[in-house]
Amino acid sequence: MSLRVKERKGVDFFDGLFMEVCSPFQKGASYVIKKVKGVFQEYFFLVHLHRENERLKKRMADLQRENDQMKEMVLAQERLRKLLEFRETLSSTVIAAEVVGRDPSSWFKSVTINKGEKDGIRKGMAVISPEGVIGQILKTAPSHAVVLLATDYNSAIDSIIQRTRAKAIVEGGGENRCQLKYLLRAEDVVVGDRVVTSGLSGYFPKGLMIGEIRKVDKKGHGIFQYAELVPSVDFTRLEEVLIIKEITKELSSQPTEEKGKKGRKGK
Amino acid sequence: MRRTFIPLFLGILFLILQTTLFASFPIQRVKPDLVLIFTLFLGLSFSPLSGGILVFFLGYVIDLFSGNSFGLYAFSRPLLFFSAQLFKDRIYLESYFLRSLFVFLFTLGEGIVILILIKAFHPEPLQPPYPLFFTGFLPQAFSTALLAPVLFSIFKKGYSLLYAQPGTGLGVRGKT
Repeated sequence: MSLRVKERKGVDFFDGLFMEVCSPFQKGASYVIKKVKGVFQEYFFLVHLHRENERLKKRMADLQRENDQMKEMVLAQERLRKLLEFRETLSSTVIAAEVVGRDPSSWFKSVTINKGEKDGIRKGMAVISPEGVIGQILKTAPSHAVVLLATDYNSAIDSIIQRTRAKAIVEGGGENRCQLKYLLRAEDVVVGDRVVTSGLSGYFPKGLMIGEIRKVDKKGHGIFQYAELVPSVDFTRLEEVLIIKEITKELSSQPTEEKGKKGRKGK
Repeated sequence: MRRTFIPLFLGILFLILQTTLFASFPIQRVKPDLVLIFTLFLGLSFSPLSGGILVFFLGYVIDLFSGNSFGLYAFSRPLLFFSAQLFKDRIYLESYFLRSLFVFLFTLGEGIVILILIKAFHPEPLQPPYPLFFTGFLPQAFSTALLAPVLFSIFKKGYSLLYAQPGTGLGVRGKT
């Protein structure tokens, strides 16, 4: 074969002619074939791409959902860790519960929790969170209970101003606010003062944060002054709470408490 | 039997939705009172006895899940029901606006009754809960009124499907 190629001087006339005549047709045919093939390839490719796109979209949605779930788990874990740490600072007679429902009316402020009499929950028990006081148990059922929030008009918690040790009663003021009652006019109270539980009621341990004073009003007559406070707990975002079954020891690591000042007053 | 149990089941379902799903809305004050809309519908379509008992029970359940210990809703909801009964077959609630207005006025009426009762029952002189009237109650009343026409239509359809008497209604040939 190589010998024959070597021997040839050039292309034969007829060979060249045929090639010249055929090649444009060949070129045209291959162009058409290429185009048709291209269209089909594009089409199949697009169909495949569409399927792939759908599959990827689904996969992305799955991953997004998984990501959201994991984020939620991390947040829940963080909240539970805080709750657990806080629980350890209190005593062993504290029960953790989850908020499962809220008040159906707009007049009252309460939440329903998933622990009840079967878990040892009784009416009047204090309900708290790492941020501070939440309220008290109002009604109980075998496996559920209703917590009256500190912002409800019917709520009253014995308290003291942390800085001056002035005594007062914190009453609910409705929409995420409370008011201080029976606070003597002579007492020195300023905006920003922290209000904590007095421990005198027997249900709340001493020194739990209730809120910060937002407004002081000494206008008017009488022996008392009026103050408004913002609760330390955001009641609109309650998810887990702690219920104090029995006060057995002092809140040793509470930042709101004056350590070693006084003994426990609760009950 | 189903005349009693289906409305009861629906009432409890609405209460559960109200305390869970609607309570977790981004805007917390927008919390339509589904049970109230249902109560008013019952007032316009049910008999005084069965409807009255049903509504009293629903009010009682609301009291159980609510922060009040006076049984206010066990009182106010039957009151609302019987007030709505006065308008039964007397008003024509076909337009959306009228339905909304009807529900809004009744919600407002119940709010005023509850406000008076809270003041009356509270053992101590109470700082009036008027701020709640504007910040909590009115947004709820508006959202309830807005939702009412849609729910009324659904209730009406459901009612006609459930309680349609055999041999009556469209497509049935009458006796000659």
